[in-house]
Amino acid sequence: MSNNFAQESSAIKVTNLIKKVVTQEGELTILKGINMDVKQGDSVAILGPSGSGKSTLLGLLAALDTPTSGEILLDGASLSGLNEEQKAALRKQKVSFIFQSFMLVDTLTALENVMLPAELAGVNGAKEKAESMLKRVGLGHRLTHLPKQLSGGEQQRVAIARAFICEPKVLFADEPTGNLDSVNGDKIADMLFELNQESDTTLVLVTHDLQLAKRCKRQFIMDSGVLTEANKANTETEANAENSDNTAATVEVC
Amino acid sequence: MEWQLAWRLFKRELAQGQLMLIVLAITLAVLSVSGLARVSERLQVAINGEAANFIAADRIINSPEKLNPEVLAIADQLSLKHVTNMEFNSMVYAGDKFQLVTIKAVGDGYPLKGQVELANADKVSTQLPVSGHAWYENRLGGLLGFPDSIELGNIELSLSAEISRLPDGGFNPFASAPVLLMRLDDVAATGIIQPGSRVSYVYQFVGEADALKQFEQQAKPLLNNSQRWIDVQTGDSPIASAVKRAERFLLLASLLGIALACAAIGIAAQRYCQRHYDVVAMLKTFGASAKQIRLLFGLHLLLVTFLGIGLGLLGGVLLDLAITQYLPAEIAAYSPPYLRPILLGLSTGLISAFMFSAYPLMRLLAIPPLRVLQRQLEGLQLGMWLHLLLSLGAMALLGYLYSRSIELTMTVVLTVLLLGLLLSILGFVMIRMGHSVGMKTTNPFQLALAGLRRRARQNAVQLVGFSSALVLLLTILALRQDLLNEWQKQLPENAPNYFLVNIAPEDTQPLQAFLDEHHIQATDIYPVIRGRLTHINDEELISGREKRDGVEGRVGISRELNLTYRDSLPPHNPIVEGTFNQADDEVSVESGVAERLDLKLNDTMTFNIDNQSFTVKVTSFRKVQWETLQPNFFMIFRPAALAPFSYTSMASFHLNDEDMKARGSDLTANAAVLQLIQQFPTISVIDVGAMVAQLRQIIDQVSLSLTLVLALVLLASALVLIAQTEAGMATRQRELAVLRTFGASGWLLRAATGLEFALLGAIAGLLAVIVAEFALYMLKTQVFELVVYMHWPWWAIAPFSGAVVVSILGMWRCRQLLNQSCSDLLKAG
Repeated sequence: MSNNFAQESSAIKVTNLIKKVVTQEGELTILKGINMDVKQGDSVAILGPSGSGKSTLLGLLAALDTPTSGEILLDGASLSGLNEEQKAALRKQKVSFIFQSFMLVDTLTALENVMLPAELAGVNGAKEKAESMLKRVGLGHRLTHLPKQLSGGEQQRVAIARAFICEPKVLFADEPTGNLDSVNGDKIADMLFELNQESDTTLVLVTHDLQLAKRCKRQFIMDSGVLTEANKANTETEANAENSDNTAATVEVC
Repeated sequence: MEWQLAWRLFKRELAQGQLMLIVLAITLAVLSVSGLARVSERLQVAINGEAANFIAADRIINSPEKLNPEVLAIADQLSLKHVTNMEFNSMVYAGDKFQLVTIKAVGDGYPLKGQVELANADKVSTQLPVSGHAWYENRLGGLLGFPDSIELGNIELSLSAEISRLPDGGFNPFASAPVLLMRLDDVAATGIIQPGSRVSYVYQFVGEADALKQFEQQAKPLLNNSQRWIDVQTGDSPIASAVKRAERFLLLASLLGIALACAAIGIAAQRYCQRHYDVVAMLKTFGASAKQIRLLFGLHLLLVTFLGIGLGLLGGVLLDLAITQYLPAEIAAYSPPYLRPILLGLSTGLISAFMFSAYPLMRLLAIPPLRVLQRQLEGLQLGMWLHLLLSLGAMALLGYLYSRSIELTMTVVLTVLLLGLLLSILGFVMIRMGHSVGMKTTNPFQLALAGLRRRARQNAVQLVGFSSALVLLLTILALRQDLLNEWQKQLPENAPNYFLVNIAPEDTQPLQAFLDEHHIQATDIYPVIRGRLTHINDEELISGREKRDGVEGRVGISRELNLTYRDSLPPHNPIVEGTFNQADDEVSVESGVAERLDLKLNDTMTFNIDNQSFTVKVTSFRKVQWETLQPNFFMIFRPAALAPFSYTSMASFHLNDEDMKARGSDLTANAAVLQLIQQFPTISVIDVGAMVAQLRQIIDQVSLSLTLVLALVLLASALVLIAQTEAGMATRQRELAVLRTFGASGWLLRAATGLEFALLGAIAGLLAVIVAEFALYMLKTQVFELVVYMHWPWWAIAPFSGAVVVSILGMWRCRQLLNQSCSDLLKAG
């Protein structure tokens, strides 16, 4: 029963996730059996050196990529066996993104960029919502500006407004402050966590920035395809050991 | 939603100039097709119309007897206008003078095309002489002492007007009898035409192109062997070959121009799609379905295409209007319907935009959402063959729509395919050859070479673009120049405008003295003797008619020939085989007639002149350019061979008022010619000045259209160049950022970038010359029948100008990158 309860309240549940790719030098295992359980409303940071597999994991969790084996449940829905269209529909319903390089459409205004996901989802009143989101991130006076007319921090604020417009269950952020100086980075981080708390969104954040990571409830460290939860890892392992070997450990070394 | 989004993207990208390249490419393709279609249609109509003036109709049937009424019934059915004329030779009398004339007895409605120009008060007449009257050529008036009336058979005709030019005057300097124009209704009363009389019935027809085509199909089979079908193309008009060549050239150049514009669309479309890779990845990440993205970009591209088409059609109309300003009024007055150019332009825009964009668009739609995290990811690598197939398919479809000729279309498509293949291989090999050069980064030249090598694959593609544009440009330039030169050669500034025929032997010396006295430089005076060819190699020749009736034997020439003799080879008569007459029993034969008679060197030919036969040996074949307006002959003998026979002579010369003035004479050209007529009343003077002027006008029109085509090809080439440089900009930016970061100086980077573009341009230029020389060889030998020669200056000019143009264009495109600071470059990259 406790297992079922855990599944219902999980925003993301990952079981024995493996990702292999074929390179010129032969087969390469990027993710070596990842297990992870993230509760709804949690904020989770994934730290790790470059090339450790952080972004690969993020791509898999966000239903952008397909694992070699293993299972991912996103807000209770299994990603296994979904085709591209079904994955897209799932993303539209449940997830949103913030990227290091902002990924704004450089020919559309700030307002139009924020409207995009709402329009794709067929939400009524996309424009009004986008306006209020932009006001919320302090860009009410920059609605008609093009990305190139905005500073890096402002562009990322547009991206945050865009990410929250559809009230996603899970928000994936890939190095959200990576392209910003520390002052702007802090502002963006404040905004991100504030909105995250307000809207009860689950936040999965990939970063190199320890300070940013520390602001998350939980921290995971990725190293050579292996994920370990920092700090509370041992306690959690013990607590869950009774339930199941597979789901207990958020850390599994292959 | 997709519609709104597509419209928004379109609006914004347009305002920010992001769509300029692809819209411009489509605009150019549509503009070339619609503009050229209309201009060339107008010119074609004008050229054919002008040329038709030479025969005063669209079609003529020439018959020795009255035409089968069925033929005229078909013409009526097809709503062709027609008129019946009669031509025969007869003597006319005025007092004690008499003269052989060619009677042109015309029916109501003559002339169907063109006008009869009258000498008095520069009038053109839309009417005909009334019954009992006749109009006369100036020469006739001169010969008969300008009488008020003449006797013709049983009737007397008043001479009421002097003709300065007839629309169907034709051009045959041997038709020495002056023309008398009268009404057909008056012929019967003359009593001249009896059974067995030698007479030509000339049936002239005009009408719509389609009706004429149908008429040809239905009427031609009803004609017998003695009846001749004549149109502008098949007519003996000296401009026929010029018209044909011009038409072929226009069509070919337009097709190549279209192919080039298509290439620009292809490159621009690729660039357009590449620019949207990130947008698609982002949209997919936010959950856009494949259908949504298909719809979004389908609509977006549709908007882009329609903008391009709209601008192109507008440009086409403006182009046509502009050209019309420069055309003579009578040609500008021809207004072919707009429908075909518009439909052609529309389909060109749609076909080229969608077929050239199909492959890049498929790749765009296949971009995986994961690209948001892994920027190097691209879509499925679909086979290049699909792209190639679609592109060639589009080109073939457009070519066929435009030219309506499968052969020409296939030729162009295969040429483009071969060109691409050849240039890809050559370009790749040439750039690979620089492999051994080291990668030191202190020397701009080595840095440039390294850059070239690094981008070997991309450069090979760029080279194809640069070189194709250059090849087409060089080919068109050379062909245009050659064609113009050829025409100029055929029609030099001092082309003869007067022919003197029927020069009696005793007049030869005084005539020469007269010409010398007035400083008139005439051609040599050629004796003309009429004779019939009877035997080849002692085999009696039969007529074509007898052959068709089943008589066995070798076919000869059934009419009398104009023979001449002289000691040396005349100018403009190059020997193609054998040696010009060495002995008195030798003859030099024009190569065309030699081929028709299946003659070989050393064959013998027997001629009959005044019932005397003599045999000569064929020792040389000559090429004769009939359009040169020089006295030209099928057969040239040694003087001794024709000495026993009586002859008259002919000559031609160029004369105008300026010439006369320059030579210090007070006389006008006309007065000098009149003096000549008065002094030598038996010599017939034929004024071909008007015809020469007409020929020149046609050549001018053709030149204008060639220049226009060239300008469009140039524009298309420039667009290809810009599109190509645009495509490589992102990679270049990253490289510059890295080099800058590692301390390369601004000067070094500028020099290296400039050199890299210059080298690329030089290689493209060199390849282009090689391929262009080859293409020209094929075109000149297979299509245009022009003299082949190497264009040596190009071998220096093309690589040099390629280097200059490409480096200027490249540096201009890169100027921002080169001036940016290191951090800006890195950020943007």
